[in-house]
Amino acid sequence: MRRFIDFVVRFKNYITLGTLVVMSFAFMSVGSLSQLGGFRAVIVGSIGWMQSLFAWIPNPVALKSENLALRELNLQLAVESARSRQSMVENATLRKMLELPAYTDYHLIAADVIGKTTTQSRNYATINKGIEDGVQEGMCCITDAGLVGIVIGTSPHFAVLQLLLNRDTRVSAKVQRTRVDGIIQWEGETFLVLKNVPRSLDVQAGDVVLTSSYSQKYPANIVIGRATQVSEEANSLFRRVVVEPAVNFATLEQLFVVDTRPNSERVALERRTDERLPQRSTP
Amino acid sequence: MALNFDLHRSQFVTNPALRFVVYAVVALLLNVVHVVFLRFVAVSSVTPDLLLILTVWIAIVEGQFTGMIAGFLAGLLFDVVSADVLGSNALAKTAAGFVAGYFWREGYAMQTIGSYRFLLVVALAGGVHNLLYYFFYVRPMQISFGMFFLKYGVATTLYTTVAAVFPMLYVNRRKDQ
Repeated sequence: MRRFIDFVVRFKNYITLGTLVVMSFAFMSVGSLSQLGGFRAVIVGSIGWMQSLFAWIPNPVALKSENLALRELNLQLAVESARSRQSMVENATLRKMLELPAYTDYHLIAADVIGKTTTQSRNYATINKGIEDGVQEGMCCITDAGLVGIVIGTSPHFAVLQLLLNRDTRVSAKVQRTRVDGIIQWEGETFLVLKNVPRSLDVQAGDVVLTSSYSQKYPANIVIGRATQVSEEANSLFRRVVVEPAVNFATLEQLFVVDTRPNSERVALERRTDERLPQRSTP
Repeated sequence: MALNFDLHRSQFVTNPALRFVVYAVVALLLNVVHVVFLRFVAVSSVTPDLLLILTVWIAIVEGQFTGMIAGFLAGLLFDVVSADVLGSNALAKTAAGFVAGYFWREGYAMQTIGSYRFLLVVALAGGVHNLLYYFFYVRPMQISFGMFFLKYGVATTLYTTVAAVFPMLYVNRRKDQ
């Protein structure tokens, strides 16, 4: 016993290091904050309250670039508005002819971004709307420019969003022009990558990338961004398509939470199929 | 007034319980600063890791054992507050406390913190911290760890080392007085 105590005292630093490393791995296996149940709402609420106290502090650099981005967007919208008026008339006529259902109008919840963590690769934002305003986990968020991210945590008056520029981002996407499918991921910096695009399919720089109807999490046809670079991946059958997000995350101040939840019947069916086919995965 | 200050200072030096309470309060405050204010000093989305500087400080003043435990608790608190993967910062800061603890010398803590050696310890502990943190960070992303570490890990380590100049100068000034 004496020997054991001497051993522990002599190597206490290494034993402590080993114990703390094992405890850290145990916590990592638990996963993200989302698996801590009610404790999470307290954290989200507290952080949201603190961030709302200081949300009035302006960030001059962000304001300047937002002004520039808004001017560019205004110019683009003016041109697109004229085109879309014409297209809407044509679209309505064609849909009637083909007897297709009308596009779904989503209920949007307007919210202000009161806190952002876009530093050191932790890309999250806090908004001033929560459960009492109808916001729920899993709802996606958009701006006039395009897709922002998804709600991952809620409290009665606040919600935390996982922005698109996040390592956990997986969005089922398609190229608007050619309807080519792929999966949007983030690989660092301020751009996204469209993966799983075979070399034989047509994707070009300048193509608009939208959310696809395959996704359970995101409604279809929301703009994600524009392809800026298309290159061949070495030793691969796929292309690497770099996508510039449509949303400027540095200047994000207002957004809309889209009040949609996955269709439970579809989720149940796909879950049953997943159980039978374990290799299949749906982003 | 001066007498009062000296009394408080001596109590802080001799009373470990008081010191640990102060460390805990400082860690809480730094967490709030990290989440609420640090975006204002971000350079290309890179910010200094203030909790790492605190961990190194504690390891140099209290030793390796306390430094590791302080790093673990500070990291765990940050994981909870920043919505990061639970345990990732705890692991990295435990390792940082372990590395920084090798520079503990009884009775020479303030000399170490008030000199350029403190910056070297922060850079070394920061390098180990970011190496571990980003190794686990990039695992779900299918990208090259080396490139990601060079972009974010090295930049964060450098910025943290620059931020560590302020406590170094503060202690250096107090030493001279």
